Amino acid sequence: MNKASVRDIFFSFLKIGSFSFGGVYSMLSFFERELVEKKKWLSHEDFIEGVAIGQITPGPPIVNTGICIGYKLNRLKGAVAATLGQSFTGVAMAILLAMFYVGAEDDRILRCVMKGIGAAVVGLLVSIVCKMAAKTLRDYRSIGFALAAFIAMAYFKFNAIGIILGAGVLGYLVYKNWRQA
Amino acid sequence: MILFTLCATLFVINALTIGGGYVMLPMLQEEFVMKHHWLTNQEFLDAIAMGQITPGPLTVMNAFIGYKIAGLSGALLAMASSYLPCIIIVTLVAKFYYSYKDSTIVSASFRGVKAAVIGLLAAVSITLGESSLIDPITVTIAVGSFAVIAFTKLEPTFVIVGAGIVGWLFC
Repeated sequence: MNKASVRDIFFSFLKIGSFSFGGVYSMLSFFERELVEKKKWLSHEDFIEGVAIGQITPGPPIVNTGICIGYKLNRLKGAVAATLGQSFTGVAMAILLAMFYVGAEDDRILRCVMKGIGAAVVGLLVSIVCKMAAKTLRDYRSIGFALAAFIAMAYFKFNAIGIILGAGVLGYLVYKNWRQA
Repeated sequence: MILFTLCATLFVINALTIGGGYVMLPMLQEEFVMKHHWLTNQEFLDAIAMGQITPGPLTVMNAFIGYKIAGLSGALLAMASSYLPCIIIVTLVAKFYYSYKDSTIVSASFRGVKAAVIGLLAAVSITLGESSLIDPITVTIAVGSFAVIAFTKLEPTFVIVGAGIVGWLFC
């Protein structure tokens, strides 16, 4: 298990939590670029495991992904450092906004800015999906799993946790006699 | 007493909801607006807006709610009780996962799960796209940010800041 110091984890997640405007899905591309590609603390495989664990645990999934990555990097201390880092700026801003209570939702400029960021997050998310797919969907079975999950969610509106549980059970049946590194 | 109820409510909601920030909204509204009358409906909607404009997870809106209800200590306790169940549960699940990762049952199941997660994120990007790509400018921004992350080494920070500026320029 790769170790990163608590301090490094805190500051990396602080950076992620300070710039990932536009909702939690923008955090994914930050995790990937900062932790996988730049710091090389995680492999793509580890990262996807973190995303999967975030989805199956209660609470906000991407927050949980951060906690899981923090745990992987430095056990409980890492998990706590990641949580504090990734929410510090947002919490500080929320408290300041509550103190001065500005009616943000009426501001036209802010709405335009958020509209631009919202669009960017879609592009970021698609690029993450492509990258993950390229790194991990290496056989027909896993491509089948990904496609089936996509269709179940996008067209049949199944809920995510049901899909993941189903994929777990089917994964066991399909892969149990077919192990490879 | 208010502080205790606030913390207990957030702790329970975060410990029991699977599926993300938006799934929790109706429950938070039920508790804070309908049942305890600590917030007006407008204040609750403002809290959601705050959660959306601040960086990071939507959950930081609980700090806003906590502040409204009980000041600074309310805000900090609200965040602590939102995250505590997550830290406990995720740590336990992660510990279990990394200990049994190499067993057949966990590794085989997770091969399916990891592939499915990619499909799920693809589906999420379509849902997000349907609501945020509404005109040529937003489509251009999305394509541009895809290209920057896919083909260059630039950080997502530039994409986010750049997209905000473009959104503002074409206001």
